[in-house]
Amino acid sequence: MATAESILFKEHTENQGAPVMSICHLYKSFEDNHVLTDFNLELFKGENMVVLGKSGSGKSVLIKCIIGLLRADEGTIKVFGENIPDLNDEELDKIRTKIGFLFQSNALYDSMTVRQNLEFPLRRHWIKVSQQEVDAMVTNALNDVGLIHTIDMMPEELSGGMRKRIALARTLILKPEIILYDEPTTGLDPVTGREIIRLMVEIKKKYNTSSLIISHDMNCVRMASDRIVVLLDGICYANGNYEELTNNQDPKVKQFFE
Amino acid sequence: MIKQNANNIKLGIFVLAGLIFLILILYMIGRNRNLFGSNFILKVEFENVQGLKAGNNVRYAGIDVGTVKRINLINDTVTEVIMTIGDKAKTIIRKNAIASIATDGLVGNKVVNITSAKQASALAEDGDVLRSKKPLDTDDMLRTLSRTNNDVAFIAENLKTTVSRLNNSTALWNILNDKALPHNLQLSAYHIRLATAKANSIVNDLYAIVSNVKNGGGSLGAILTDTAFAYNLNMAVTKIETVSDHADTLSLQLSHLVTGIQSDVNHGSGIVNALLKDSGMVIKLNESLDNVQKGTDGFNQNMEALKHNFLFRGYFRKIESKKKQEGKQVTTAR
Amino acid sequence: MKQISSLNAALNEAGDISRFTGRFLSHWFKPRYEVAEFFRQCFIIGYKSLPLVGLTGFIMGLVLTMQLRPSMVDYGVESQLPAIVSIALIREIGPVITALIFAGKIGSSIGAELGSMRVTEQIDAMEVSGTNPFKYLVVTRVFAATCMLPVLVMLSDAIALYGCYLGVNIRGDTSFNLFWTQVFDNLAFYDVLPAFVKTFFFGFAVGIIGCYKGYNSRKGTEGVGRSANSAVVVSSIIIFVLDLLAVQITDLLGFY
Repeated sequence: MATAESILFKEHTENQGAPVMSICHLYKSFEDNHVLTDFNLELFKGENMVVLGKSGSGKSVLIKCIIGLLRADEGTIKVFGENIPDLNDEELDKIRTKIGFLFQSNALYDSMTVRQNLEFPLRRHWIKVSQQEVDAMVTNALNDVGLIHTIDMMPEELSGGMRKRIALARTLILKPEIILYDEPTTGLDPVTGREIIRLMVEIKKKYNTSSLIISHDMNCVRMASDRIVVLLDGICYANGNYEELTNNQDPKVKQFFE
Repeated sequence: MIKQNANNIKLGIFVLAGLIFLILILYMIGRNRNLFGSNFILKVEFENVQGLKAGNNVRYAGIDVGTVKRINLINDTVTEVIMTIGDKAKTIIRKNAIASIATDGLVGNKVVNITSAKQASALAEDGDVLRSKKPLDTDDMLRTLSRTNNDVAFIAENLKTTVSRLNNSTALWNILNDKALPHNLQLSAYHIRLATAKANSIVNDLYAIVSNVKNGGGSLGAILTDTAFAYNLNMAVTKIETVSDHADTLSLQLSHLVTGIQSDVNHGSGIVNALLKDSGMVIKLNESLDNVQKGTDGFNQNMEALKHNFLFRGYFRKIESKKKQEGKQVTTAR
Repeated sequence: MKQISSLNAALNEAGDISRFTGRFLSHWFKPRYEVAEFFRQCFIIGYKSLPLVGLTGFIMGLVLTMQLRPSMVDYGVESQLPAIVSIALIREIGPVITALIFAGKIGSSIGAELGSMRVTEQIDAMEVSGTNPFKYLVVTRVFAATCMLPVLVMLSDAIALYGCYLGVNIRGDTSFNLFWTQVFDNLAFYDVLPAFVKTFFFGFAVGIIGCYKGYNSRKGTEGVGRSANSAVVVSSIIIFVLDLLAVQITDLLGFY
């Protein structure tokens, strides 16, 4: 068993080359609450990785540390070879163009139309793109999520699932190489949730992105995951693909798969 | 995009309106301070500038023509006032014009008044030094006033004794008891009328003084700081009061006298006749009234000098109202 | 103990606000400049506040004139009414009342807007998408507030003077020309300039406090409400404190 696993791992490593993101010995605490203690993780090119954990186990803190919204206390987060905690604002902005982030609450700009929402990140980064190119990119991203007809609507006019898809389109418009999903199916009904998951898988195939998905929704875990990391007590408690973890006899892992 | 443009235009109008108002305010103030447009400098030297400050107005014939630019102390007795005068006044102010310091209103700012001299002279040029007039000294004014008051009091006292003697003299009454000639009575009545007219003019003079004082303004600061002056003032007021008291008595007695005469005439007794025969007496009466008028003229002059002094306003108002009341009483008595 | 901790909290907040201001200044100088957003904010903050500010200014001028008239008549200086009202308006009432109205309208709206953006993670979203939200949201708003309040105060002064003119003419007859002369004869540069300069600081205070409160809003609806509320309260207090400072400084410099 052990050998089989290591062989599996080895294949992965050989297929994917160097990891696009590697987290080593990450510590993060809020005053007396130690959320992450010595957390390690590696993400490879074209891989959908699910971080599974209970509420309050520090999943959101983890991805906020990755994107630089929170500063880690200790440890390294290397994305494309750059250590996130060491970067200044400008370098951080540069690396962020390669990382998409889908917020749990979508975080659409509610004073702007869908089009403006999508144009917003573009306007920031490539000042010199022409209006036609911007239009083309917006249309393209909306087509990817199948919501081209909502282009001139305001976010509050859309349903929860549509908003999630618009938020995804906004994430995609910069053509990121890594997408971080923060609980993408939370707050949606199971059917809509499955649609979102299918979309995520499609996008991964289409653009060959790597994804880190934070979730506690087992549907999502089963459908979207190439590999799963169980985040428990601030460390990477277990890791493997869906089948491996379903067969794991550890009660702490088992509680997720029942 | 069109909406954005419209918004920008509105914003532009908004900001411009604000700025234009600011510039307008600043421009208007600047114009009032002679900051814009050309102007020239005139100087004048005073012993005492009486609290004149840079920025105070300079007036010619009551019109603002410039402002005080700076005040320099030249030495222990001379202060130089430098004035900025607008070019408009350049063709008006002459070299021999006289500058004085006055107060704008009752307690207003100090102003420099430039007045023209009667003699002809060339027009003033940039940097010319004008002549200055020493401002009125209230202390001097009051000292004179006090003396005049004494004189008036003295005259009134004398007049009073005369009248009372006249009243009490049995000899006089005897004369009056003599049989009378009617046409002499008429003549005397004419003389008395003359005397009354004189008295009337005195009253008018007094009234003019009162109204002058009422309208006048003055140097509040100087009065309030000088205690010796306050004492003088007090004295003066007391004296004025005494004088008017005496005048009261005097008029009362005069009135009695007239009533006596009248009753005598009515009763056909000869007193009036005799009196009226005695034209020398009437002339004397006239003389004494002349004297009173002279005294009053002196008083008048001093009052004229005092007319800027507002402290007297209340007092004279009181006198005036008293007079009015008396007038009323007389009317009702009639 | 409780006092000490609340004092600590107040000092802490003062420190935070100072740091926030420092951050504003450093971001303000550094490129890139969010010019378009700045103009958009100017429009919202300045132009859209004009009706409110104009109305209050007009009423202020009118009411002040009518309230002062009886005393002025008692002293026999009714003719000085335009002068005294215009000096009061331009030196003090115009800037302070306008700034307070501005704090009520703009401070609360900035506080609530940024607060809800913070709560719904829109600020994080901007940051993640490579936009510097501080530059985009805070710098533009604070700078717009700083630039727009002086303009508003000027217009409010103008409208208030018009109100004063009407007020004078309710029970009197003063031609506009005479009114105009009386007003400007009695104003001096030191009436206008310090009042104008201090409005920049008022505007800056309203902007920076509104942004600080909104930007650091706590989660939840209550947090947003509290941000909006305390933005108004704190900026109003700061306006008065600045006003006190301004009058002392002008006094020290000899503008009186």
